[in-house]
Amino acid sequence: MTDKVYYTVEAEDNLICRKCGIPLEKTEAVFEYLDNSFPVELPACPKCGFVYVPEDLALGKVLSVEKVLEDK
Amino acid sequence: MDHFKERSTRDYFQKKLYSLEGLLERENRCIYEEPAFCHAACPLGLDAKKLIGFAEKGNFSEARAMLEHIAPFPRILVYGCEAPCEKVCRMNEVGEGIDIPALERAAMNLGSPKTGRGMLKFKKKQKAAVFGSDLFSLSLAAELARKSYPVSFYVSQADAVSLIKDCAPFLSKDDLAKEATRLEAMDIKIIYSCKLTKELFESEKEDFDIIAAARSFLNAYFPGDIPDSRTLLSPVSKLLSSQNSDPGVLEAVFDARRAGVSADRIAQGLDPGSSRGEEGARESRLFTDMSEAVPSKRVPEPQEGYTREAAMEEAARCIRCKCEECIKHCVFLQETGKYPRLLTREIYNNVDIIMGDHLMNKTINSCSLCGQCTFTCPNGYDMAEICRDARENMVSTTKMALAYHEFALLDMLFSNDEAFLAKPQSGYEECKYVFFPGCQAGAIAPEAVFKAYSDLTGRLEGGVGLINGCCGAIAKWAGRTAIYEECEELLKSELKKLGKPKIIAACPTCKKTLEEMIGAEVKGIWDILNEKGLPEGALEYDRPLIMHDSCSARGDSEMQTAIRKLADSLGCTLKEVPYNGDMTECCGYGGLVSYVNKDLASKMAQSCTKDEDVPYISYCMACRDRFAREGRESMHVLELVYAAPAGNPPDISEKRKNRLNLKRKLLEEVWNEEVIVVNPEYKIVIPEDVSEILDERMILEEDVYDVIGAYHAGGSAVCDEKSGLLTSSLRKGNVTFWLNFTEDETGVYTIKGAYSHRMKVRTRYEV
Ligand code: SF4
Ligand code: SF4
Ligand code: SF4
Ligand SMILES: [Zn+2]
Repeated sequence: MTDKVYYTVEAEDNLICRKCGIPLEKTEAVFEYLDNSFPVELPACPKCGFVYVPEDLALGKVLSVEKVLEDK
Repeated sequence: MDHFKERSTRDYFQKKLYSLEGLLERENRCIYEEPAFCHAACPLGLDAKKLIGFAEKGNFSEARAMLEHIAPFPRILVYGCEAPCEKVCRMNEVGEGIDIPALERAAMNLGSPKTGRGMLKFKKKQKAAVFGSDLFSLSLAAELARKSYPVSFYVSQADAVSLIKDCAPFLSKDDLAKEATRLEAMDIKIIYSCKLTKELFESEKEDFDIIAAARSFLNAYFPGDIPDSRTLLSPVSKLLSSQNSDPGVLEAVFDARRAGVSADRIAQGLDPGSSRGEEGARESRLFTDMSEAVPSKRVPEPQEGYTREAAMEEAARCIRCKCEECIKHCVFLQETGKYPRLLTREIYNNVDIIMGDHLMNKTINSCSLCGQCTFTCPNGYDMAEICRDARENMVSTTKMALAYHEFALLDMLFSNDEAFLAKPQSGYEECKYVFFPGCQAGAIAPEAVFKAYSDLTGRLEGGVGLINGCCGAIAKWAGRTAIYEECEELLKSELKKLGKPKIIAACPTCKKTLEEMIGAEVKGIWDILNEKGLPEGALEYDRPLIMHDSCSARGDSEMQTAIRKLADSLGCTLKEVPYNGDMTECCGYGGLVSYVNKDLASKMAQSCTKDEDVPYISYCMACRDRFAREGRESMHVLELVYAAPAGNPPDISEKRKNRLNLKRKLLEEVWNEEVIVVNPEYKIVIPEDVSEILDERMILEEDVYDVIGAYHAGGSAVCDEKSGLLTSSLRKGNVTFWLNFTEDETGVYTIKGAYSHRMKVRTRYEV
């Protein structure tokens, strides 16, 4: 797998992990669907690993890639 | 077996949708591509419909180009042709047929010739000689020159004008001159003022590979040597000549065309009868509905021919014969912009694709499987069968993504699990009847179901059991055979426990599906009500109503009649519309369209309810629900019978709650069983605008409770410090659900937003 990153979301300063009480950080993450995976960078908690997928990403890019893969 | 395992885009199976014969047998039923009647009647294959289309737009040059393409001397053709096309014109049936030859003449006179010399062609090696002049030999000489044979044409006339005049004496002076100029421009070596003797023929013929003659020449020197009716080759002399001694104009030109094909075969050293394909006029299989054609009279053609305007007016009378019977009435087909023959081929190819984009998947899943096309098509085309087969095929080869139908399938499993109820009437072990209201009835009008069951147990002898669940139609529509078979197993075992009772269905789709499943007749509750009379308290309805027939009642005139009888006993005045009975349209629920293609499903419901001011009554809960969702006044006949108006259409979560509550109410009030409900220790508030978002995004309240439940139990969340908004998520099956919410000190969660995605997400450190 290449190191190409398909998508990057900067972690905004005001996002805090509720459980761990620390700010989210831009983290290397991966989306997986129907045996395909896409490296991305998303805000996540450095401690518990909770990855945050914002609404506009879920309903925009993620949805359109899902649709393409579903019909592959 | 895991029915909800996502497919892989990496490997799948391969299975043909149909054998080639199976495909062709289906495709050939659709005659959309058949030529119009006028076109099929022309042995030269002139597409008169197309020519008329050009003429209507005033594009006479394009029309002229069509004529120059099919005939070497188009003026001879348009002034001399006997025009079989015009005799078969369908407009003859309602008035006067289109004057096709007059329009052809207009094309020649009003259009300009195409300029440009065309492609440079190399001469062929084989040489051709044509002896003597008649319209056949003249046309053949031109035909052979066009095919790039070096042609020598031996004629007795002294010049081109007299040659053309002898072949087409009906032409005006002006047209004679034009066709003579055309002849002179052709690449033909014309030997004028020739003495056409047998000696000439014998001495010259050795130099040529292809020899042809005017029929008078053949008759004079080879009497009894008759050209073959198809190849036009004379067996003794080997001359190509016209079939008859005195052919009409069209026949002569058509013979020349066929002789030209024979010449090609001879030049290639082949049998002139071989691989000729279809030649000549034929009968069109086209179907054209004339019921809406407006009768009209011909625009008379003056001596000097039509003006532009007159020609355009005559052309405008043509109805462009075509078959679109199915498309006219089906919103789905209109949306695809394709006719069934083409659609079938594209679906077939889509099913076949191994690696690549299956671009037709959404289309395959957007047909409501309603069967209307099989009724509207003159040949009974069955698009539903093809779309259903394609779904089944692609599911079984793991080519169809779960995303299309997962929500509907989970809803079906909910009906047959959590909300499922199967019981004998209390006091009985086995029953004579079992009431099967169907999953949608409980979801949309639970009160009517409750009262109907009480009524049936009160008025029928021998015990009436209850099976409240899904009949399996949803799995069938989705092409998920394995899920259907599980449903079949469940229902059959429950029926067995009840002593194989007679089923009373309340839904036409259940009735049809169950009849297929158990192979025995299923009664409709409407039959019982007609037999026993209305229950006490039934609502009378005195405003006019439109009866919407269910698409599952198509072809079932008994059911359609029974429902009308029931409506009549309720005092309803029914207004019948053209799209009723067997012609009915689908509300958009059938085939699961509303899950796959919401916009199309909306259009379907709107198309069913064109009459906006009159309330609709139906006997399928899904129809009732979909019309109400489109803002139409809509009711199910059982709402009147049991005086149980169901009110506003429920959203997806209410539909689930209704089923659960119905089950609880039945258990508690009919069977006196105690039902324990556990409520969570925290409270969730879902404002109305968020409820709408949930419905729109197919997120259930149950999902909301699960996400909050997981958070409440110590799950993670993101907190936006500025707004105080919390965001948490939960993976359930194949979907990740996200909620935006706030939490107050008293443990109340207020939901602010919700969304979901199917992709899985994780950090790259996890495995
Ligand atoms: S109405 Fe038009 S298309 Fe139909 S047969 Fe007549 S000329 Fe041809
Ligand atoms: S089955 Fe119904 S929706 Fe499908 S093509 Fe035929 S008429 Fe249209
Ligand atoms: S009605 Fe539809 S399916 Fe039938 S022949 Fe005409 S275009 Fe084809
Ligand atoms: Zn954390």
